Formats: sequence, C-alpha cells, structure tokens
Amino acid sequence: MKYILPTFGALTATALFAFSSLSTPVAAKETSSRSDTFRQLELFADVMARVRNEYVVDVEDSELIGDALNGMLQSLDPHSSYITAEQFKEMQVDTSGEYGGLGMEVTTESGVVKVVAPIDGGPAKEIGIKAGDYITEVDGQSILGVSLSEAVERMRGKPGEPITISIVRGDEDPMEFTMTREIIKPRNTKYEIKDGIGYLRIPQFNEKSAPSMIDAIAALKSDFGGRIPGLILDLRGNPGGLLDQSIKVSSAFLDGGEVVSTRGRKADDTQRYNAQKGELVKGVPLIVLIDGASASASEIVAGAVQDRGRGIVLGMTSFGKGSVQSVIPLRGGRDGALRMTTQRYYTPSGRSIQGTGITPDISVAAIPDDGNGNKRIRESDLPNSIQNELTSEETENSETEITIDFPPEGFNVEDDYQLQKAIALLKDGTYAQTLASLTQG
Amino acid sequence: MSFAKRFLFTATALGLAGLLWQVPQAKTVSPEDQKTIEQLELFAEAFSIVRDNYVEETSDNKLIEGAINGALEALDPHSSYAPKEDHAERQKTARREYGGLGIEVTMENELVKVNYVIPNGPADKQGLKRGDFITAVEGENVRGKSLNDAVEGMRGLAGDPINITVLSPDNTRREVVVIRETVSGRAVRHRVEDGIGYIRIETFNHPRLAKDSKAALEDLKAELGGSMKGLIIDVRSNPGGRVDQVVKVTGYFLDGGEVFSSRGREAEDTRRYHAAAGELLPNVPIVVLINSQSASAAEIIAGALQDRGRAMVVGRRSFGKGSVQSIMQMDDGGALRLTTERYFTPSGHSIQGLGIMPDVLVAGRPESKNTKDRFRESDLQNALANPEGLILEENFDEMDFPSEDWPDTEDYQLAKAIELVKSPEFSARLARKNTPLKR
Repeated sequence: MKYILPTFGALTATALFAFSSLSTPVAAKETSSRSDTFRQLELFADVMARVRNEYVVDVEDSELIGDALNGMLQSLDPHSSYITAEQFKEMQVDTSGEYGGLGMEVTTESGVVKVVAPIDGGPAKEIGIKAGDYITEVDGQSILGVSLSEAVERMRGKPGEPITISIVRGDEDPMEFTMTREIIKPRNTKYEIKDGIGYLRIPQFNEKSAPSMIDAIAALKSDFGGRIPGLILDLRGNPGGLLDQSIKVSSAFLDGGEVVSTRGRKADDTQRYNAQKGELVKGVPLIVLIDGASASASEIVAGAVQDRGRGIVLGMTSFGKGSVQSVIPLRGGRDGALRMTTQRYYTPSGRSIQGTGITPDISVAAIPDDGNGNKRIRESDLPNSIQNELTSEETENSETEITIDFPPEGFNVEDDYQLQKAIALLKDGTYAQTLASLTQG
Repeated sequence: MSFAKRFLFTATALGLAGLLWQVPQAKTVSPEDQKTIEQLELFAEAFSIVRDNYVEETSDNKLIEGAINGALEALDPHSSYAPKEDHAERQKTARREYGGLGIEVTMENELVKVNYVIPNGPADKQGLKRGDFITAVEGENVRGKSLNDAVEGMRGLAGDPINITVLSPDNTRREVVVIRETVSGRAVRHRVEDGIGYIRIETFNHPRLAKDSKAALEDLKAELGGSMKGLIIDVRSNPGGRVDQVVKVTGYFLDGGEVFSSRGREAEDTRRYHAAAGELLPNVPIVVLINSQSASAAEIIAGALQDRGRAMVVGRRSFGKGSVQSIMQMDDGGALRLTTERYFTPSGHSIQGLGIMPDVLVAGRPESKNTKDRFRESDLQNALANPEGLILEENFDEMDFPSEDWPDTEDYQLAKAIELVKSPEFSARLARKNTPLKR
C-alpha cells in the first residue's frame, strides 16, 4: 500500500509548504513542538490520501474535509461543530428562523439526541415531551449517532408538516409522538398577579424578551397602583437565547454594575457586561425561580441576581451551560464556518456557570422525593462537556450540602410547589431577613 | 498576540517543517490535485484557528484524531482509525480476556444442562460430563434464572476460580471448583440430527476454520456410513471473518468455479475467488441456514451456494455487510481501517445493504412486530449504499412463523430446514427455484 504515498505525500507537503510564503523567522526552540504538530497534520493528510485513492467509492474532497472538521470540533464539546457553506449562507439570509420546528432545545449525549427543554406553547411541550427525554427516531428513521446539527435539520421542515418522533423516557418503552411543525414565534414575557404578588415568566431569551418584560413591569405597577409588593421572575425551563437580552433583563433589577463576564483562554480575553443605571423595581423583593432546564442566559440572570444580593434564587440547580460559541467563517464563509466554544460565562463574583450551574439559595423540588433527589440531566452529565475549574471533589461537596424541600407525597404537580413556596416567602415577612443572611454568608 | 499574528506564527512553523521535509517537485500540479491542496490548506487553517482560540488548551493528537474519525465515520460504519495507544490497550484487554468453563449449556427443567465439554478445557479437567446438570453457581441456585443470566454468572476473568454444584444423571450431587480459562470455544460444531448431517459454523474468523470444517464433514460422512441424506450448514449469527477460510469452506461444496468477487472503485480492481476442484459431498442435498445476523463471510457462502444452484437457503434475510476493509499501518504506528472493496455473489449482485434473501423464509420466533423488525447493515448510520441501488424486503406473507406455543428451547428454523432437506421434492425444488435475487 506504500506505493501510493510518494505522489500524494509530495502533495501534502506542498499544501503545507504554501504557508511558507507567509514566513517570518521563528524561534528555534519552538520548532520541536511545532514539528509535532506538523507530524499530526501529515498523518491527517496521509489518511485523506488513502481515502482519496483507495476508498471503495469516489469521495468529494470538500465533503471529506467538512466531515473531518466536524469530527474535530465535536470531539471538543457537544456545542462545537462545523457549519457547511450552504448552512452558513442560510444563516446569513434567514436569522429569524422562518422554518417549522417543534419548539424545543436539544443537545446530544453519547450520540443520542436529548431534550434540554421544550419551549412554552410549542408543539413539543403541548404534546407532552419532557426535559430529559431521548429522541431515537424521526419519521421512522433512527437518529442514533447522528450529529446534533443533522438531527435538528431532520426535525425541521415546512410549517404545517406532520412529524413523528420516537421518545425514550427512563425505563419506559419507546413512545411515538406525532405533531405538526410550527413556526416557533418568539414568546413574550407573560405577567400576572398571583396571590397579591407580581409574577413574570420569561420562556426564552429572544429579541422581544426585555421590551416585553419592561411593558409587563409597567402593567404590574399600574395594576398594583404604583408599588409592586413582591416580584417573582420565573426562568424555569428557559433554555436561554440572546446574551444581550439577558443583560437588559438583569438591568431591570440592578442599578448598574456587572451582570456577567465572558472569559476566553487568555486572561486578556475577558469581557465584562454591565447593567444599565437605574433600576425599574427598586426596593421590590425579588425571587428568581430556576430548575434543571434553566440554561445559559437564564443562568446569567439568576447568577447576577444571586451574586449581587438583589434577590433570592429558589428552585433546583440549573443546567450549567456556561459556554459561549463563536461562529468563525472560513474564507469569508465560502468554505463554511466553525462553530466553536471560545469563552465561558462568569457570574459577577467570578464563578463559572459551566458544568455546575447556579445552585439555588433555597432548594425546592417540583415533584415529591423519588429517592434520586430528582436528579436532572445537566451539562456536566454530557460527554465531552467542558469541566468547570472546580475540582470534581469540590463540586461534589457543594452538591451534598444541599437540603431540598420536597412537596409532600401525593402533591398535585399542577399546583406548582416551587411557586407556592416563593409566594409564601414573599408574604410571610421573612424575606428581608433571609436575603440578608444569604448576603452575609 | 492577536489571532492573525498567532495564525501566521503557526503557519510559519508548519512551512518550516515543510522545508525540513524537503519536497523536490511542485511544478506539475493537476487541477484535481490543486483542489485537494486547497482543501488541505483549508483544514490546516481551521486546525490552527481551533488550536489557538478554543476555550481551553487543546491537544494536537486529540484534534487530529477527532478529525480523522469524523471523516471516516461519515464514509461508512466500518471505516475507522485506531491510534497506536489504542492498539496496545486492545492487546492488554485481550490478555485479560473473559474466561469460561469450557462447556456448552442449554436450559432443561429450569436447570443448566451441559451439552458439550471441550476436551482438556477447565470443566473437563474437573470431570464434568455431557448430560450433567449445574444446579448452583457460587452457592446461588440457578433455578428460575434465564439461561443468559446463568451463563453470565459463570463468566469471569481467566484464572479466577468458580464454585459450581453439579448434579449427575445418576443423582449424585457434588461441589466442584473450576479455574476459569480463556476458552476460544469451538468455531465449528457438528452432529447427526435425524439422519441428517448438521454443521454449525460460529465465525469465519479463525485460521484453522476450514481445516476444522473439513474434519467435521469427514466425521459426519463416517458416522452416516457414507450415505448422507442431507446436510445443514448453519451460519446463523455468524458475523463473518476471514476471506481465505470462507473460500475454502465454500469450496468443499462446489466443484470449482466462482465463490465471489470483490470489486474496488476501478473496474480493474476486480478480484475473483474460486473454489478448488472436487466436492467433498457430491449429490448430497444441502440447506444453508441464515438469519439477520449472518454477515459478510457468512453471506458469501450462502450467496455462492444459492447462486450456483448448489443449496437451498432457509431462514431470514441476512445482514447485508458486503464490504471489505483493508487495514493500513500509518507512519505514526496507528492503524487505518478503510473500506476498499465490495463483495459480489457469482451472479454479480452486491451483498452490500441487501444481504442474501432465503429461498424459503422461516422465522425463529412466533409472529410479532418484534420478530419482523430486524436490525441490519442498512439501518446503520451512513451505511454504504448498494451499488445497484437495490432494496430487498422480506415478504412476511410468505414467511413461515412458528405457532404461539412453539417452545423457546426448540429450533424452529432448524426443524424446517431438516424437513426441507429430507423432502423427496428437494432436488426438484432446488432445480426450479426462483432467480436468486427477487426484485
């Protein structure tokens, strides 16, 4: 088999050689590790040469390289992937997403597509798909082992088109759900008055989240005749979305100061995001509700409120997706783009959200104790997920200290135990004291 | 350092390395090669972006490994790359192979019954005999367990002792300590069933397989006094193995002629494999038993005997793995496993994605959705397509299912195969059977 190499071997070297036109002198001691790198690239080129010359059918070079880039990125973490030139073009034209979808946030775990959270009002949530469900088939076709982007692609389609997906939930037999694809419209912030307390629900962070929340707060204020006695911000099941919206939402509760920072590999890559001056609900007691399906932008808001001592975070530990992906076009996008994790989110006190998530100040479960502490799948359970800087031991410890308030056996889940607890805390006069003790600790 | 500067830096180093590597010619580059060069450049560029900008330090090895695997996995499910360490690791685990007792067992009266004791195996050394029952493993009763669970309980690492309770047919009970050994098991088994020769080939992945098969056939011939009325070749759940072995074994049943051909991308890459002249069992009616897990070499033997009109094939449509992988040693010591050819039966049809369709469809279990659904090559992600674009579906209306009350312990497919091979119409049916590939 060796005989093929000379011609293509030369080709390889030529390809890399082309870079030398960019040459500037390089330090001698760098060369050894650099030549290791070169050997790795050479190995890659050799394998590609073998495939090109000997594979049983003709393979398009560009496809091969695209798949290689995708493999490289996916080996890093589940949120990094390669975007083909066509996909990149689509992204440019159509950022609003006028395709029909099922309304859920998904990720992959060991090659299986997993539901992070179904979005309020979307077809998936309506039909009863739950956070933590595994999707094994789309329209009778297995999607085991396919990449996340491919799986998402297969679930998308024309609005109004039906789709059947197979779901595996726990030890139960696979279930089939048939639903109709819908255009997933950005959901606005909803508000109501519950038991004399203002209640805000942000189902996801899209471009309308902050403006509609500001409207909602104004409406609540007038409903209460000026002063809101207490406010609950519900971020449960909110899979995240736009970073700038999470900053704006946080600004409603903070009078300037840091909301979140993002940090890259190098210390000088740090970027800080601050709240705007002027708080909307100054002095109003605040509770933020989170659960295991609160991810990313939701965790930024909860983390900021918690770290800045502005309110109490109640519920269950959040998902722990604290990484930022950048889209880096290759040759202006003509050769596609790299979607790659480049930074991590840090709360104002400098905690990384990645992996650990936000631990609530008061842990309250939604469903009665099932013996597992109602463990939910979180980012740290994903294969290849980026580790938090804390050692696993430390993480473990902080996990075990938590005492969770479970609803009593037979509690009707519809009655929303977490919300009840939040309302009680705002009304029983212990809020200020509790908040003060948390801030001290 | 800015990103652009860092990239330049990497590129420079790579360029230098290229210089050290010394390439003589770069003048005559075809447009085709130019495209490849551009793609490799693109890769190198993306590689250095990832390397410099990913949120954590990356390892070059890991990145390249991910890239190679990404490219190969997208090709087909059988192409892969194993780096050097993997190689070594695999050898280590191979040495700590699971040990067994050297027996073959079935379930009878809720007890584990010894059907065969491998000569000189660990159980043989402790005097276990065919017909013995195992009633307890490590003091735990086997009664009420499934055969799988019972066997699982007997497995362990080679060298570890195991305590079993043995009940002999004469009703004596004793405790025996057996030291587990790595038992390769017999790849070939044979027996006389109802006056018919039966040979079961578990795998073709054994260098002595053809020899063992030949010995087994000779044995059967001797036992049946040279007047064998029929032969069953059972390759159910046989995952395939070595091409040289399957060609030899198939050759025992054919008097020369083609067994299969393998074809690469170019027409001139075609290689034909022929049977040796001279049959071992001329004129003996043959049935080949296959199921959905008969793959690769097992499909070659079934396809050859079917196409050449030498045997009737009974069972379920086979797996459909009709591709050949070549193992290529890379310079870094790793091994590239790449699909380079496809198998074709003598009539010129590719097995890939199709499998072999039995002449007589017989299911092993009573009719149900579960029985009908079988996992095959074409269900694998990125499976290589059939080059002729063919699709084969089993016709369930034609399929012979055992009745609901058919006992799990009885082999329905084998029973049907024996019935067929013994039937007086066998040769007439063989002569007029359909063209091998039902479209």
